[in-house]
Amino acid sequence: MMRGIHQNFEQQPAPAFFVRGPSPFARLAFFTTLSLALMATDSRLQYLANIRQNLMTLLHPLQIIANTPSELYRATDEYFSTHHYLLAENARLKKQALTQDIALQRLDRLNIENANLRNMLDAKQSLTEISTLAEILYVGRDTFTKKIIVNRGRNHNVVIGAAAVDAKGVIGQITRTYPSSSEITLITDKSLAIPVQVERNGLRAIAFGRGRDNTLDLPYLPANVDIKQGDKLITSGIDGVYPAGLAVATVTEMKTTQDSPFAHIVCTPAGGVENNRQVLLVSMPKVEPEKAANTHSAKPVMAKTAADTNSNTEPVPNTKLTNPVSAEKPAQKPLANIENRSHAQQ
Amino acid sequence: MRNNKLRSIYLSLFLAFICMLIPWSGAALSLRPDFMLLVILFWLLRAPNQCSVGTAWFMGLWVDLATGGTFGQYALAYTITTFFAVIYQRRLVLFSSTQQLVYVFSLLFLSQLILLILKAFAGKEFLGWSYFLPSVTGVLLWQLAVSLGLNTGRHAHGN
Repeated sequence: MMRGIHQNFEQQPAPAFFVRGPSPFARLAFFTTLSLALMATDSRLQYLANIRQNLMTLLHPLQIIANTPSELYRATDEYFSTHHYLLAENARLKKQALTQDIALQRLDRLNIENANLRNMLDAKQSLTEISTLAEILYVGRDTFTKKIIVNRGRNHNVVIGAAAVDAKGVIGQITRTYPSSSEITLITDKSLAIPVQVERNGLRAIAFGRGRDNTLDLPYLPANVDIKQGDKLITSGIDGVYPAGLAVATVTEMKTTQDSPFAHIVCTPAGGVENNRQVLLVSMPKVEPEKAANTHSAKPVMAKTAADTNSNTEPVPNTKLTNPVSAEKPAQKPLANIENRSHAQQ
Repeated sequence: MRNNKLRSIYLSLFLAFICMLIPWSGAALSLRPDFMLLVILFWLLRAPNQCSVGTAWFMGLWVDLATGGTFGQYALAYTITTFFAVIYQRRLVLFSSTQQLVYVFSLLFLSQLILLILKAFAGKEFLGWSYFLPSVTGVLLWQLAVSLGLNTGRHAHGN
């Protein structure tokens, strides 16, 4: 009986389940192992970074093809935007340019004054940043992370760790560079930390992205901390990544509870984290160690700001400058922070 | 015939990949079905000899690259999901279209669940139940394709 069935099958055109090669389970085991090995390699070792970059270069033409429909839509939309709207926008921009021109004139004077004062103090000249204008190609596809991809990459001298800002404030940091595009992790991403200062009283803190919504957290500040709703947070500039004084966020919620020694502070980012097309990539120039040795003379100025912020135990900025800022370092720093944070939570 | 089929498999996978590359954002991104997995599942039912776990794994790697996540996450999710599709393939093609729909939904859900677990290991947070919406839109897309006359292998055994 069994023999008969076998012969029957052999005469038929080969049924699908006899010509499949290795069993599904064997394939599952093989490819699962392969995936796990890949994940381990990619997350713990750096071997795959180069391969990823090369593949991304390969993918770039495809990306351009995929972007075409939305680009076309935008182009036609702009083309058909009404005369009235353009006139209004033109008037608004002229007005904005005028006010900014006035501010710029004052800035020039302040810059000269600042240079003179620094000369008198024999202090190091403040660094001028290098900036590149980039346009957002697409928003990261991973819903777990807050990332955007912009159209400037290593070919345009974009380096890992550069800050991304828009007209209103900081929006993130470059975390990966490809030849002609780069990846910005937004400040609202859970793995990004940004050193901030409260504008009102100079208090220093570190803001972490919340990850879930477009807000930032200010963890580990005592319940009696002097932060109020509506306070503006600016970059403190002591990390060697973000230029000092850029707007970061506004405090929208400040709560203290009986059961926690820490204040619960939620902030909304100042920059258009989700809605702008153009971003400015600002990278701080590298600092030579010889110059840094002279910076102790600048200490009186620094000490004054440190005195304002009594409750903080952050390192004095100058220690940061003693070693040349490598391109990798700023990107690593937030990750180190987040590790500390998770330990603290356990 | 076989070559023709192979070509259409590659072409559809390529198109699915382009669909994944389209700059989705905001609400569209949270609703976007997993085109790649849908196409892979379709070919698993339709042409199990040409498209298998290996294909899914390979395409998963490309999706990993496109999402910018750690290599192997999508690959692993696709591998496990397609395994469950492959072992039930003979039964799936005999299912009624409703049964098939339920099964496809659970496969899509499974792949998202695996991804969620992998992301949780990497320290990411669960974003709420709306995270699973792509499974729903995915299965709706599947139904749309079926009602537009796409043969999802249900009658393939009769040919």
